[in-house]
Amino acid sequence: MSFSVSLRDVTLKYGDTEALSDVTLTLEAGKIHGLLGRNGAGKTTLLSLLAAFRRPTSGEVLVDGRPVWENVDVVSQVALVREGGDFDDTDTVKSSIETGELRPSFDLEYALKLAERFEVPLDKKVNQLSRGKRSVLAAICGLAARAQLTMFDEVHLGMDAPTRDAFYKELLDEYMDRPHTVILSTHLIDEVANYLEGVVIVDKGRIMRHEDVEAFQGMGATLTGPADAVDAVAAGLEVLAEQRLGGTKSVTVAAALGAAERERASAAGVEIGPVGLQDLFIHLTTPRPSPHPHPEPEKAKPSQSKDDRTGA
Amino acid sequence: MNQYGSARAAVNHQGGEMFDDGTPIYRQIADQIKAEILNGSLEPGGKVMSTNQYASFFQINPATAQKAFRDLVDEGILYKQRGVGMFVADDARDRLAGDFRARFFDDVLKPLVREARQAGISLSDIIDYLKAQEGALK
Amino acid sequence: MPNTVTLAGRRYAFGLNLFPATVKYFAGWILAAVVLAAIVPLIVSQWRSVDISAWYIAANAGKYLIAIIIGGFVHTLLPIMVAQGLTRREFATAMGIFGLLWSLFTGVIAIAGFLGERAYFSAMDWTQAVGQDDPGIVLRSVGEALDFAKLYPLSYVLYGTAGALLGAAIYRSDSGWLAILPVVPVTLAVDDAMSHAGAWGPSWLVQFTSVVTDSWGDWGAAAAAVAAIVIGAWVARRIIIDSPIRSKQA
Repeated sequence: MSFSVSLRDVTLKYGDTEALSDVTLTLEAGKIHGLLGRNGAGKTTLLSLLAAFRRPTSGEVLVDGRPVWENVDVVSQVALVREGGDFDDTDTVKSSIETGELRPSFDLEYALKLAERFEVPLDKKVNQLSRGKRSVLAAICGLAARAQLTMFDEVHLGMDAPTRDAFYKELLDEYMDRPHTVILSTHLIDEVANYLEGVVIVDKGRIMRHEDVEAFQGMGATLTGPADAVDAVAAGLEVLAEQRLGGTKSVTVAAALGAAERERASAAGVEIGPVGLQDLFIHLTTPRPSPHPHPEPEKAKPSQSKDDRTGA
Repeated sequence: MNQYGSARAAVNHQGGEMFDDGTPIYRQIADQIKAEILNGSLEPGGKVMSTNQYASFFQINPATAQKAFRDLVDEGILYKQRGVGMFVADDARDRLAGDFRARFFDDVLKPLVREARQAGISLSDIIDYLKAQEGALK
Repeated sequence: MPNTVTLAGRRYAFGLNLFPATVKYFAGWILAAVVLAAIVPLIVSQWRSVDISAWYIAANAGKYLIAIIIGGFVHTLLPIMVAQGLTRREFATAMGIFGLLWSLFTGVIAIAGFLGERAYFSAMDWTQAVGQDDPGIVLRSVGEALDFAKLYPLSYVLYGTAGALLGAAIYRSDSGWLAILPVVPVTLAVDDAMSHAGAWGPSWLVQFTSVVTDSWGDWGAAAAAVAAIVIGAWVARRIIIDSPIRSKQA
C-alpha cells in the first residue's frame, strides 16, 4: 500500500530558470530514501512536484503509478513537511494539529502524544513558538498524518542535535510499525545515512546519482602515499579531488577498489582510506574548477574529471 | 568543517562508535555477529535479535540489518525458522573458526610481516616473540 | 477522539466547520459594531440632532470587511490545506460553502440591524437617513427599512466573491492585484444597481454605469448580482485549481 514515486522527463521552469531539467527518477515503495543536494539544487522543487504543490512545465509525475496533480485519492495519502511547516500562524498549536484530521489516516492521539514527548505547548499560538519547536510541530504533523508517502524537506534545520536525534528515532519506529515510503531531504548526510536505503543526489536541477546507500558507502576511497605510487593506482579511476603535501599525495577516487587493487596499492606503500558519504557528496557536488582566492600549489587542486549522470 | 564537522560529531555521539566510515554497515553487523559467535556470547542454536530489534537498537534502516542476516543465512551461519525467528547454526562456530584459520596467514600474518620488515624487525625476532607468548599463554 | 472524516465528505465538513469557527472568532467585532451603532448617535445627540443612520455606515464597512475576510482566508488557507493533502478543487468547494454561509449570515445581521435601528431611532425621534449624499434617503417605517435592506445579503455575497477572487489572484501571481481593475468597478456597479442609496465607497467609479443600471429595478439588479457572483466564483475557482503553492523563503 506504500506509494512508489516516478518522474518521467520532468522539467520545471520558474520564469526562464530551469529548476529541474529533464529529470527521470523512480523511487521504490516502502523504503526510506535520502534526497541530497546543495541549497538550490532542486530538492524542494522535486518534492513540491511529488506533493502536487506544483505542476511540472513538462513531463509526468506519478505517485503510486497515478498522476498526482489534483488526485484526491493520492494527495490525501501524501504528506510534504516543509521547514517550519504550513500553519496558520495565529492559530493555536492544538488546533493546528487538529487540522490534520482532514486526512482520514490522521492519528490525533499519536500527534498529541508526540507533542507531549517533544514538549510542544498545545495552548500557545504557532507564532509564539521558537524556530526549533515550530520545526518539531511540523515534523509531528507529518508523522501523525500516517501517509503512504511522507516527505521531510530539511525539517531538521531548526532542531537542535538531541531533538534531531529523537526525531530520526521516532521516524524509524513509525516506519517499522507501518511500512511506507519516506523521503528525507537534507544536506547533512552523515546524520541520516544510517537510516537510508536509497540515496539520490540532485545537482543543478539534475539527478546526479541514484544508488543504494551501500553502493555509495563503498563508492569512494582516498589513496595516500608517494605521489608516483598514488598516480599509478589512481590511473583510470574517476578522481574527485587531490591534494599534495611535499612528496606525499592524496587523491579521492569515486570507485570501489577490489581486493587485487588493494593488495597492489598496499604493496606500493599507498594507504587506502574510506570516504564518508558527506565527503563524497561534497566532492561530487563541488563546482570544478573552483576559483582559488589564494592560489597555492600545495593546496587542494580541483580535478577536471567529472561525469554527470542523469536518470536512475 | 563548520556545520559538517558538528554534524559528524553528533553522529559519532549517538552511537556512531559502533560503525566506521569505510565498510558497509551490513558487513559490519555481520562481522559483529560472527565475532559474538566466535567468542561464545551467541550460543549455537541460540536466537538472534530480529531485524527490527537490530534496526531499532543500532538506529539503522531495517533493510540494512536484513541484508546482514541474509548474508549470514547464505553462508550457513544463521538459519531461519519461519514465523519464529533467526537462530545460530549448530556448526556455526566451527565453521567460523575454520574460515578464520584459512584466512589467518593471508589476512593477518602477511601484512604484519610486511610492516615488521618496513620497521626493520627481523623474522627471527617475531618468531622469538611468538614462542615467548605461547609459553606465557600456557 | 476518533477521526470520522471521510474522503468524499471532507470538503463539505471543512467548509461547514469553518463557518461557526469564524462566527465565534468575529463575534466580538459584530457585537462592537452593534454597540457603536447604538452609542455613537446617543453621544452625537448631546450636541445636535441625529439625522443619519449609524448602522448604514457599519453595514457598508461590513461589505469591505467580508471581502477582506474571505479573500484573506483563501490567500492564507490555500497552501495550508494543500499541505494537509486537500486538492485545490476540494478547497475551492469548501471555501464556496463557507463564503456563502458567512456572507448570508452577516447579510441577515445587516437587515436585522436596519430594522432594530428603525425601532431605536423612532423611539428616540431621530432621523434614520441612509446614503452618502446629503440629505440621504430617509427611512420612515419598518417597511421602508426592510425594503432598503432586503438585498444586503446578496450584496455581501457579491463582495465576498470579489474578495475570494482577489485573494486567489494575489496568491496565484505577483501581479494578481491587477485583478482589482475589473473586479472593483464591476462589484461597485452591481452593488450600486442593487442599492437605492448607491454604492458605498468610491462611487464616482460607477457614475457612468448608474445611468443604465438605475432603470433595472430591484429584481433586475439582483439578477445582475447573481450573474456577477456566479461568474466571479467560477473565475476564483479556476484560479485556485491552477495555483502552484509558493515556496517558502528560507
